Amino acid sequence: MGTPKPIISIRDLVTQFGTQSVHENLNLDIFQGEIFGIVGGSGSGKSVLMGTILGLVPIKKGVITVLGKKVGSLEKIMKLHLQSHWGVLFQGGALFSSLTVGENIQIPMKELDAIPKELACEMAFIKLKMVGLEEGDFYKYPSELSGGMVKRAALARALAVDPEILFLDEPTAGLDPISAAAFDDLILTLRENLNLTVVMITHDLDSIKRLCNRLAVLVDKHAIVGTLKALLNNNHPWIHEYFHGIRGKTALADLME
Amino acid sequence: MEKMVACTPKIEIFSQKDTVILKPQGSWMAKTAKEIEPLCADIFQKAFPKHLIFDLVNLQDFDTTGVWLLKRTFQMLKEKGYRLNLQNESDTFQALFSRLDVYKPSYQEIYKPHFFLGKWLVELGRISISLVFLIRDLIIFLGQVTVGMVFTFLHPTHVRFTSIVAHVERFGVNAIPIISLMSISLGLVLAYQGEEQLRRFGAEIYTINLVSISIVREVGILITAILVAGRTGSSITAQIGIMKINQEVDALNTLGLNPMEVLIIPRVLALIIVMPLLAFISDLAGLLGGGIMIVFSLDVSPQLYIHRVGEAVTMGGFWVGILKAPLFGAIIGIVSCFEGMRVTGTAESVGRCTTRSVVEGIFFVTIADALLSIFFSQIGI
Ligand SMILES: Nc1ncnc2c1ncn2[C@@H]1O[C@H](COP(=O)(O)OP(=O)(O)O)[C@@H](O)[C@H]1O
Ligand SMILES: [Mg+2]
Repeated sequence: MGTPKPIISIRDLVTQFGTQSVHENLNLDIFQGEIFGIVGGSGSGKSVLMGTILGLVPIKKGVITVLGKKVGSLEKIMKLHLQSHWGVLFQGGALFSSLTVGENIQIPMKELDAIPKELACEMAFIKLKMVGLEEGDFYKYPSELSGGMVKRAALARALAVDPEILFLDEPTAGLDPISAAAFDDLILTLRENLNLTVVMITHDLDSIKRLCNRLAVLVDKHAIVGTLKALLNNNHPWIHEYFHGIRGKTALADLME
Repeated sequence: MEKMVACTPKIEIFSQKDTVILKPQGSWMAKTAKEIEPLCADIFQKAFPKHLIFDLVNLQDFDTTGVWLLKRTFQMLKEKGYRLNLQNESDTFQALFSRLDVYKPSYQEIYKPHFFLGKWLVELGRISISLVFLIRDLIIFLGQVTVGMVFTFLHPTHVRFTSIVAHVERFGVNAIPIISLMSISLGLVLAYQGEEQLRRFGAEIYTINLVSISIVREVGILITAILVAGRTGSSITAQIGIMKINQEVDALNTLGLNPMEVLIIPRVLALIIVMPLLAFISDLAGLLGGGIMIVFSLDVSPQLYIHRVGEAVTMGGFWVGILKAPLFGAIIGIVSCFEGMRVTGTAESVGRCTTRSVVEGIFFVTIADALLSIFFSQIGI
């Protein structure tokens, strides 16, 4: 792979809703091939940060480049065809409710307009099984799925055309521990096999420990970036509480001392 | 894996004694799938010996789609009795290739028949049955609302006054401008058309009777009902529908709050209260519109116009119009809440139910109006 190059870089990002500012001069680099975690308290602006990278949330100030291209407005992204380079799993799944799971997965393929119809159908089945759903779920509508199944189906859609970057917004939240662990396995194998870069918002300390090469913690409207080991020694009160609180201690016991 | 420049995929073929070496080249990816498929299909056209070697040394890029295309070709060749070998594949390729054994789709599932021949007949039956069920459900719902209303009146503490007042404002006060505007223009049109016809008999002064009676008895309340069905009925359906999708209705139930009491009865009551008031405003606005046209084109003084209107419109006629209003309000409220509660799961069903709410609302209002017209003329008002 050679020396890693930043695949996403954020410089001096400022985002605001009305007068409420969410990020102030936030800087971040994400490198090719890594699994990058984003953590932070509820309402600290994780989803908004992902939205700005995807061009869904307007940027007040600053520059974001993805794959060497500057992210601006949504129209610009459309023209740059970044969509076929990334897959997105939204916090709520965001499956199209009037389409079946199978049709949902085939949407990015249809957009790409390079995959014959039957092949697209086969690929949709493959992706469906890849994320651990059953073939019978292909014809179900999103309203007939459980929360975990919605997440999986949405992941299958995000993976439909093998993106280079995968954005995950709280992928394991609301899953049972077994499914969550299976989900982590899945992300790892996909990363190995498909040379993915994964940007993952998560609260799941086990996921963070197993998957993430590096982390960004969103506190005080900034991002504090580092490896998990480095962040364990950070003495910002929130970060300290996060990793050394009761849950953190249990999950990360083997990393401390 | 270098930069993602899509190279045209190709298969180079080298023949040896009794084997053939196939060397896939370029990028085998989703982006190039259209070009890869014919390449794979070509293999079957050629008369190859029974031993094939796939040499992947020149394969540049691949993703799941590309690997699957190779895998699929492999499978089909195997079924035809070919002996196959892979050569020089990378670890990543190997991993994906073997993984696809687990993930490969079973064909009976993909191509299982989903529709059968009597599709049209089945569809017709389905529609008929759903129509019957619709009417049954509507009647049940009507019963539930009635029971809910009676209960609410017996237990006045359960009346949600704040909610009702808020709805009265949204459904009524905010609708006044548009209803007045529509009614004024209808009054103008009625007066203009009526006057033109009546002038032929020299009876143009009776335009005043024509305009005032038709507006007060029928047109005012009908245009109000149609506007309210379109404006308020649709918004009620969409709102309740989205609440159902978000499980807000379930949440109400589990919190011990009856959706009937919290959502439906306040809306229906608000519409029952608001409709007569709107109908009255619509009457006034219609008379104003008609008056403007008549004063200007008939050379009648405003005082005379008002005087003639007073003579033409009886108290009975006025009440015929106004008394229909609460009934129409109830119809619109019940139909739109009913359709809102029928929303299931999808965004599409919100759209469908909202359309139906407006159409059914106007339909039932029109039917009721026709029946009432017959009734009132029979009893001689
Ligand atoms: N569309 C919006 N309009 C106004 N404020 C918003 C919007 N989206 C998010 N916010 C605010 O931005 C902050 C960060 O939200 P979010 O990124 O969703 O939090 P989280 O880190 O839990 O994902 C919150 O305070 C939220 O209220
Ligand atoms: Mg969030």
